[in-house]
Amino acid sequence: MGIGEIWNLIAVEPVMNVLVVLTSVLFNNFGLAIIALTLMVNGAMLPLTLKQIRASRAMQELQPKIAELKKKYGKDKEKMAREQMKLYKESGVSPAGCLLPLLIQMPVWIALFQSIMRVLAVIPENLVGLSQYLYSWPVVYSTVPLSNEFLWLNLATGDIFLALLVGASMWVQQKMVMTPSPDPAQKTQSSLMLWILPIMFAWLTLSFPSGLALFWVTSNLFRIGLQYWIGGWGGLVKSSPKKDTGRDKKYKQRIAAVEEAPAGGADIVPSSAQEEGLSYEESGGKRPDRGGGHPKSIRDTKPKSRRGGGHRRKRG
Amino acid sequence: MRIGNKALPVGKISLLIILLLVGLVLVGCTDIRGSPEGGSGATISGGTIFLSPSLKQAGGFGCATPVTEGKLVAVNAETGVQRWEVALGGAAPSGGFGCAQTTLPVAVYGSPVFSEELVYVAGYNGKVYALNAESGALRWVYPREGNMEPIVSGLVIGLDKLYFGCSDGNVYALDAATGDIQPGFPFTTEDKIWSTPAYDAGTLYVGSFDKKLYAIDADDGSEKWQFEAEGSFASTPLVDNGTIYVGTLDRYFYAINAADGTLRWEFQAEKWFWTRAVVFGNTIYVGCFDNKVYALNALTGVEITEFDLESPVRSWPVLSEDRVLIATEEGKIYTIDAVNNQFGLFADLAEKIYAPLSLNEGVLYVYSQDQNLHALNADTGVRLWIQPIN
Repeated sequence: MGIGEIWNLIAVEPVMNVLVVLTSVLFNNFGLAIIALTLMVNGAMLPLTLKQIRASRAMQELQPKIAELKKKYGKDKEKMAREQMKLYKESGVSPAGCLLPLLIQMPVWIALFQSIMRVLAVIPENLVGLSQYLYSWPVVYSTVPLSNEFLWLNLATGDIFLALLVGASMWVQQKMVMTPSPDPAQKTQSSLMLWILPIMFAWLTLSFPSGLALFWVTSNLFRIGLQYWIGGWGGLVKSSPKKDTGRDKKYKQRIAAVEEAPAGGADIVPSSAQEEGLSYEESGGKRPDRGGGHPKSIRDTKPKSRRGGGHRRKRG
Repeated sequence: MRIGNKALPVGKISLLIILLLVGLVLVGCTDIRGSPEGGSGATISGGTIFLSPSLKQAGGFGCATPVTEGKLVAVNAETGVQRWEVALGGAAPSGGFGCAQTTLPVAVYGSPVFSEELVYVAGYNGKVYALNAESGALRWVYPREGNMEPIVSGLVIGLDKLYFGCSDGNVYALDAATGDIQPGFPFTTEDKIWSTPAYDAGTLYVGSFDKKLYAIDADDGSEKWQFEAEGSFASTPLVDNGTIYVGTLDRYFYAINAADGTLRWEFQAEKWFWTRAVVFGNTIYVGCFDNKVYALNALTGVEITEFDLESPVRSWPVLSEDRVLIATEEGKIYTIDAVNNQFGLFADLAEKIYAPLSLNEGVLYVYSQDQNLHALNADTGVRLWIQPIN
């Protein structure tokens, strides 16, 4: 048995058959089945998604501090890496926390994607091919072939409105998790990601059956809702620059104290701004993290959800 | 994340993963979605074979380019030498964007039919063509302007009319000489029609994806009766001795009273029935996607025996005197002795066979998805000639 067959057996076939059963349950409506399955899969992967979102946010929170490190140790790569790792360790943040959930979710999304494409089976060759993936459940056999109609859509062909919706929802989702970075390089990379991916996916959506676009839109909307629940509108709402609070000052003082401490005890990252005697405003950078003090762990700083409001809660 | 003293560039890795995902999606899509290939069976008349070759997808990375230009080919039945070929124009716009194809290919699934001096063929692009059998000159095309929904169904002739089903759920009847739509038609069903209708004694029997088999008056298009199954109909009914034999996607093979549409018996297999059955005496032989051919008692539906061919059966079988010749998707052709139900390998073409088998004057014609037309001695299986038709 080849790897492709094993993949089909354990991933694609179950998803395909569930899709067909859902279609049968949901009034023989394949569009509703796609939405339902997307929500179910998102729900099942909620713990992983939450972990990933929190890890990503925590990483974003650290960006100003990493920028400070870059300013200080930019030339000494080795030292920079060491200090960066210290910062991660001190903050309780693991870069793997962002990637691992994503890696685990990827096969699930690919299976879902392939299943939708296969179950659509528009041309005779595809319908014939579909038969080999179906379970011997009477409900499956009485439901296939599925109707491609959903609202105004032909789920088998591209739809420009849905493509725009995919792009827009992806942009919103990304924008929500983005926090402004003082590092110009990081800023450029973030801006590129913010625009390139939505445009690329919108373009791809035009080429693909809109059944797939429906899956993307549903998934994006779910993530938007989840992110709002976790941390409000996040980067979607513009934050205004704010003067150093007492806590900011305290934080810088603590960093300075650590810098003065003997080597090896520098668990807390030194602040280049403090070292150079500059505040954020003076150094030209807006300070996105207006919370005070340096937290023991980023986990301790989980923001509470709230309606509207673009300002982040103070930390501490 | 760290290797030695170096921190990994997480942002770049994330971007890489996303791009990889998009790439996988793109490549996966190209493989899964595909393009209609078609490939009809051979129709033989007056020493000439008519067939439409399958369309091969041109190689390419990412957005593969499908061949859209279908054609009808006339071949000398004795030698395999091509007499003429005609491009079937009129590829339909599909309204795709980006990588999506912008025209529906003129793939032909149903075998051509012959009547008087005309040969008829229907395309996936939603057009029906009538051509002069001698020269290939176009006599008429339906519709004259624009395209219908894709036609997967084959054509059938009766009462000087040409009948076919369409993906728009309608059964059409055209005047065979002029291509004009006939009064009372189209007959509308509730879903796509991909199976070829069967014509018998003024009645048309056609199965639809709406899970119903319809008996339609071939003259005026009125409904005589309908039979509802648990699954969609994709195979062509066989009418014999007042009974309609047809399989469905619900894995059942049905025997239905042709007079009133009542069920006589049903037989359950393990997978879909896609092909038409053949009958010899009181035995029905039907191939299935579960790799088997079933021999059933035509009167009771009781299974007499089954033959494991180790590959799905999609192609229509033929009856050669007292032998059933049946091909598997994998390219093996088997012979079943209908007298004693002994079976054996007849020929191994080692090429995919989807198209119906054709038999004429002791020669079996097989068109493979590798675009080769094979002529085999129907008694011995010896290859007489092979001709690439593409």
